[in-house]
Amino acid sequence: MNSTVVSYLSQSNEFQNIHAWLSKALGFDASSLMAFVIFAIVALIIVGVMATIGGAGTYAERKISADLQARVGPNRVGPFGLLQFLADGVKMILKEDIITTNADKFVFNLAPVMCLVGVFATLAVVPYSSGFILADLNVGIFYLVGMASLVGVGVFLGGYASNSKWSLLGGMRGASQIISYEIPATITIISIVLLAGGLSMKTLIGAQGGGMQDWFILHNPFAFIGFFVYFISALAETNRAPFDLPEAESELVSGYHTEYTGMKFGLFALAEYIEVFVVCGVAVALFLGGYNVPFDLGTGALFSKSLGLDSMLSQNIGQLLQLGAFFTKTLALYYVVIWVRWTLPRLRVDQLMTLCWKYLTPIAIFNLLGCAVWMYAFDGKSIFALIMAATAGGGAHH
Amino acid sequence: MFANTLFLLSAVLTLAGAVLVVYSQNLMHACIYLLASLFGVAGLYACIGADFLAATQLVVYAGGVIILMLFAIMLTGGTGNRTNKYGLEKIPAMGNKKTFMIAAFAAIVSALIVIKVTIPVFQNNKNLIVAANAPTVERIGTLLATDHILAFEISSVMLLGALIGAAVISRPRKEIHD
Repeated sequence: MNSTVVSYLSQSNEFQNIHAWLSKALGFDASSLMAFVIFAIVALIIVGVMATIGGAGTYAERKISADLQARVGPNRVGPFGLLQFLADGVKMILKEDIITTNADKFVFNLAPVMCLVGVFATLAVVPYSSGFILADLNVGIFYLVGMASLVGVGVFLGGYASNSKWSLLGGMRGASQIISYEIPATITIISIVLLAGGLSMKTLIGAQGGGMQDWFILHNPFAFIGFFVYFISALAETNRAPFDLPEAESELVSGYHTEYTGMKFGLFALAEYIEVFVVCGVAVALFLGGYNVPFDLGTGALFSKSLGLDSMLSQNIGQLLQLGAFFTKTLALYYVVIWVRWTLPRLRVDQLMTLCWKYLTPIAIFNLLGCAVWMYAFDGKSIFALIMAATAGGGAHH
Repeated sequence: MFANTLFLLSAVLTLAGAVLVVYSQNLMHACIYLLASLFGVAGLYACIGADFLAATQLVVYAGGVIILMLFAIMLTGGTGNRTNKYGLEKIPAMGNKKTFMIAAFAAIVSALIVIKVTIPVFQNNKNLIVAANAPTVERIGTLLATDHILAFEISSVMLLGALIGAAVISRPRKEIHD
């Protein structure tokens, strides 16, 4: 059975009480109904939180860019301009929704929704903590790759349906870029799957530890290079600078969403910012230890033993720590993404394709082979473990 | 209840998408309906516990095939006007009322025959139970690397051929001087 947020909650006494009461009141086994209700509530929470993070992403983007360019940035709405993204959202909803005369209306309306659906569907397997993961599928990371590719279709259709030259060029660039950079990203993911021995998020994270020396980024040199290959590919897949050619404002006005107004443009922007969070989360889960907390605090066993707390309560404290670990690492990477955007100039199209096909893809394949050889030669031990073993062995001689 | 709902949703999505693909006049829209139909098929795979197959369906079709089809349709101008410069339909109709009625009759007859033939199959397998959520990834991986290694290798050679072919087609042509 795949472990889900329901299977985590079902360990508690309250869940069992409600389950028994509902089954008695309704006259049938209520576990399916309860699973449905819990999934609905948790999905609502996740979508709400992620939409807020996406909105706050725009605020962070503007503040950090202002910081890098020695400006102040938004500072009028709320304390430090914190409510700027809400004001922007209200403005977008109130704006007139313009559909150009010659646009393909069906596709035009569908494209932003498709982008957002593709991103939100990936949130189902993002591991926030060991209990608070919507569904830990056996094919977790593979499912995520598949769903994220829907964004490419949305970008392309948005460019095509607008019936504008800028949009079409932007959409084509976006689709070709997303397809191309999926290859090094996926091959790098496969090399990490090789290290962990499974596709599910829990297997991938469970194979790492809380301390830095147990993270996959420091497992071997190939994984260390792989992290950067994945990060660059993820930047390109989410159309972030220096790879924001699909929306290059100096050449294409605004690329595939040139003709979009109001909340439809808002959906594109929201999808982009949430996707950045998702790819940062995946990078954290694959390379930076995911939700693991040092000294095994995440399981909560220490709290129940040393402080004498109820086992469920201490587990919940552990989950909160794991959530903190995951969000701290992910938001730190998010900061790096924004930092890179306001530091590096944009690439040309040919440079973009050269980087993908002549550099990143061969490096990713080399990393995959390297990881396989490492696993075979050193029996799956990390470089840290090897050094520890060597020093321990060396110490024995003296 | 959960599984049944999922199955019904996927089946409706598959069928509705497939019908709309045929019914749609616009090639681009047909492609999008095809995407919906393929998502439905992925849902059906998920219903019978073939999780790896469902994810593969998403990766291959949603990520690759549909985008390639959209590109092909766009580059060939498949959605342009449907009449040529003489005012004739470029895409002829599939038939008239008479042929459609004959086709419907033929479809009903052949469907009855198929049902008649397949009834024993369903009756014999009435109590067929799908293995509940048994993970398929490990088994598929093991089988691919052991029993089906030849098919696996041959398909990889085919992909290599496709890759080289694409590189040959897309490289800049050299001027031949003699």
